[in-house]
Amino acid sequence: MSHSTVPRRAEASTPVQNPVASGGATGPREKNEPGRPSLRLRFRRDRTLLLMTVPAIVLVLVFNYLPILGNVVAFQDYDPYVSDNGIVSILHSPWVGLENFQQIFQDSAFWNAVRNTLVLFFVQLLLYFPIPIVLALLINSVVRPRVRAISQAILYLPHFFSWVLVIAVFQQLFGGAGLLSQLLRQHGFDGLDIMTDPATFKFLVTAQSVWKDAGWGIIVFLAALASVPPDLYEAAAMDGAGRWRRMWHVTLPALRPVIALLLVLRVGDALTVGFEQILLQRDAVGPGAGEVLDTFVWWNGVRNQDFSYAAAAGLVKGVVSIGLVLAANKVAHLMGEQGVYKK
Amino acid sequence: MTPNAASGSSGSSGPSRRSFLASTAVATAAVAGGMPLLAACGGSDGGSRGGTTSGKNAKKILPAYVASNVVSPDIPSKNGSSMGFTGKLDVGTLKTSVPKKLGKGGKVTIMSPFWGSPPKGDCAYYTAANSMIGVDVRWQNQDGNTYDQKLGAVLASSDIPDVVVIPGWNMTAKIPSAIIGKFADLGPYLSGDKVKEYPNLAAIPSDAWQRSIFGGKLMGLPMPASYVQNIVPLYRQDVFDKQGYEVPKSADEFMSLAKEITSPRAKRWACGDMKWTAFNTFGVISGGEKALSWTVVDGKMTHRMETPEYLEALEWTRKLFAAGYVHPDFKLGKSQATDPSAKFAAGEFLIWNNDISNWYGQQAIQAAQNPGFKVWGMDLWGHDGGNPVLWAANPASIFAFVNKKAPESVVRDVLAVANVTAAPYGTKEWMMTNYGQEGTHYTLKNGVPVKTDKGNLEVANAYVMVASPASTIAHPDLPDYTKGMVGWQQRMGAFTKKSSFWGLQIVEPNRYTNLTNDMEQLEDDIVRGHKKMSDMQQFISDWRSKGGDRLRDWYKKLLDENGTAAS
Repeated sequence: MSHSTVPRRAEASTPVQNPVASGGATGPREKNEPGRPSLRLRFRRDRTLLLMTVPAIVLVLVFNYLPILGNVVAFQDYDPYVSDNGIVSILHSPWVGLENFQQIFQDSAFWNAVRNTLVLFFVQLLLYFPIPIVLALLINSVVRPRVRAISQAILYLPHFFSWVLVIAVFQQLFGGAGLLSQLLRQHGFDGLDIMTDPATFKFLVTAQSVWKDAGWGIIVFLAALASVPPDLYEAAAMDGAGRWRRMWHVTLPALRPVIALLLVLRVGDALTVGFEQILLQRDAVGPGAGEVLDTFVWWNGVRNQDFSYAAAAGLVKGVVSIGLVLAANKVAHLMGEQGVYKK
Repeated sequence: MTPNAASGSSGSSGPSRRSFLASTAVATAAVAGGMPLLAACGGSDGGSRGGTTSGKNAKKILPAYVASNVVSPDIPSKNGSSMGFTGKLDVGTLKTSVPKKLGKGGKVTIMSPFWGSPPKGDCAYYTAANSMIGVDVRWQNQDGNTYDQKLGAVLASSDIPDVVVIPGWNMTAKIPSAIIGKFADLGPYLSGDKVKEYPNLAAIPSDAWQRSIFGGKLMGLPMPASYVQNIVPLYRQDVFDKQGYEVPKSADEFMSLAKEITSPRAKRWACGDMKWTAFNTFGVISGGEKALSWTVVDGKMTHRMETPEYLEALEWTRKLFAAGYVHPDFKLGKSQATDPSAKFAAGEFLIWNNDISNWYGQQAIQAAQNPGFKVWGMDLWGHDGGNPVLWAANPASIFAFVNKKAPESVVRDVLAVANVTAAPYGTKEWMMTNYGQEGTHYTLKNGVPVKTDKGNLEVANAYVMVASPASTIAHPDLPDYTKGMVGWQQRMGAFTKKSSFWGLQIVEPNRYTNLTNDMEQLEDDIVRGHKKMSDMQQFISDWRSKGGDRLRDWYKKLLDENGTAAS
């Protein structure tokens, strides 16, 4: 079925999106333009290409779009145990309309999770987001390939550790009976309570993310840096620009589109601040500080089997996230950047 | 995590395993808020489906009881204790309780909680036990400490293993309704005299079977347990003796002892998280299961949260944490990733409330590497220095359920497995279930079986989870520990009371099942200083208005209609 749907859908949306076969069209903005080959012709011409996209489309449909239908349980009092078959269970569960949503908006635990999520997002935006950029600039300024390769390897490595491991390492070093605390105690100071202090949890989580993933995050920026033509630097240097001026007037402008794109993506993802990492430490600081939207959904759905409630919370998150992406994209356009997509 | 089950499991024999499980359970259950919720059968609003089955209705489906007298215990059960076996076990003359293999060679998959690191699926222990039973059991072992997090998803799928082992403390939220909906009625195989086909199952005490009734049907294969509370404050007796510390007799004495012991600079703290001991020593109504949390106090149906003792126990535990007497790792709560037993052995903390099975389990495991190591259990004290007031745990808390879709041949094979695992102490079957194969998993030292490293690795959890004989404590290698543990249960049992719904399997109506989901979390937050006592008072008043009061009426009606199980 995907054979036929694809082109048809494309055609239906021509005013906005360019159809697959736009390559051959000259002025493709208007529908049924005279110079454009008919659908049938285009289909015949591109059938091999279309055929090659089928597996990907099927996968997306089955694993991304089909499960969306399951969101219907957010409007039900869903009991997965009435039948062995999930679909039958859905059919047998009573419809409750917006009741779950009403409850969620009155649930202080939900708002607590929203607040924690947003706080964590802003802390990460301020303290984490700039670090890969700075690291990329640093790495880029290293001239000797050997030194560069070694430092890159060291920076990338923590990305491949699992969260369990990262947190265990942090605990051994910074825990209440960890290396740091015992060292302090042996020198007459008090031990520190870094791993279990709710007040500083957001910084702890951010520090862990930086240690684990900031190195990995530089890859995109390095690629962008590599594409800056060296003659720009030469020309700037000839004109008397020093190191800082070159960075300000050449390097950073070159990175700007990438930074804007990543920022838009990050904002769109604002409500996703990490799941496994936070779940693993949720009990150490309590849900008051350690509950974010994703762990809220997990706790209510998987742990308490209140799947409807969890689905409703997840839907709210999804809708807000779409709004955020659109808004961030708009801002990017206003700033003259490409953003995620353009009309 | 709570008292660490893993260590207990490997060291302990059959009977004790139940207990270590229980400890974890406690923790979890508590969290859950006690909840077997149950749902009855019904759909979502199933008020009608909730409830229990007792008295005459239960008699109709309970299996007949035929005592087994293979070996009589050296210490008979008293005050709800386990039976203790302290005499020498002559491995050469073990009796046979299953003369002919009942298994028909079918394949049975069993999902079960496992504390520790599970062995490979084709290990020597599984192979030997399977061939003794005549059934090809395939184990799907899951981490016991986070079992509740997987159970709900597995039961919601269309692909449930043939047998699923579910501890009572994991029966939170909608799990009871899942049990009723997804598992088979074993009544047609076991009710009344039918059980006589499986003599070892017939010898399981009736109060354990009573607990196996869900939604009016006999569904679980139970692991009988002592009804005395299972959490013991274990302590390093060797260090106590050396330093001249005295075992405390009141809440205040404990506090000053904790102060004396604690010296962070020397990397030594007094204890772990003592919340469960605080509940016991302050006389708080049992929190292991939802229905156990209710009892009639001064003529009024009361939830444990509503008693002053509950808040006092939390406040005392909070002070213990705030004063810095608790090992810092315990501040991590369930996030605690590492096994505290190594730190206990290293003397980083000296008092650890833990499941009673670990009284033996810790000793068996640590003694090999640390010759001076000696762990012992403290008697529970009354917080004011008087006798403690203890509330009974249930006489069975772990059950194996058979998938409703399993054909009769599979059900029969499962019962064949259970009939072997429920064999009493002193039989070849018990020896296989609890010690494995001679030469491979244990060797005889002075005529006493001692597990080898391979035995400690492989002979843990698994078969003991399916069904068990009447609660037994038997450690032929450390008979003094058997005496200590059974003695503790008997002394504590004398102070133990039964709450209104003790011994019953009660399913709350679905609409109330989420009321206490966050209760244990809040307890843990309060004792760790993340939340205030007033937050708990707020929680309790919210709980009342959100349905707690209606649930109270529901329980009152249930009691009026059914009466208690306790005789």
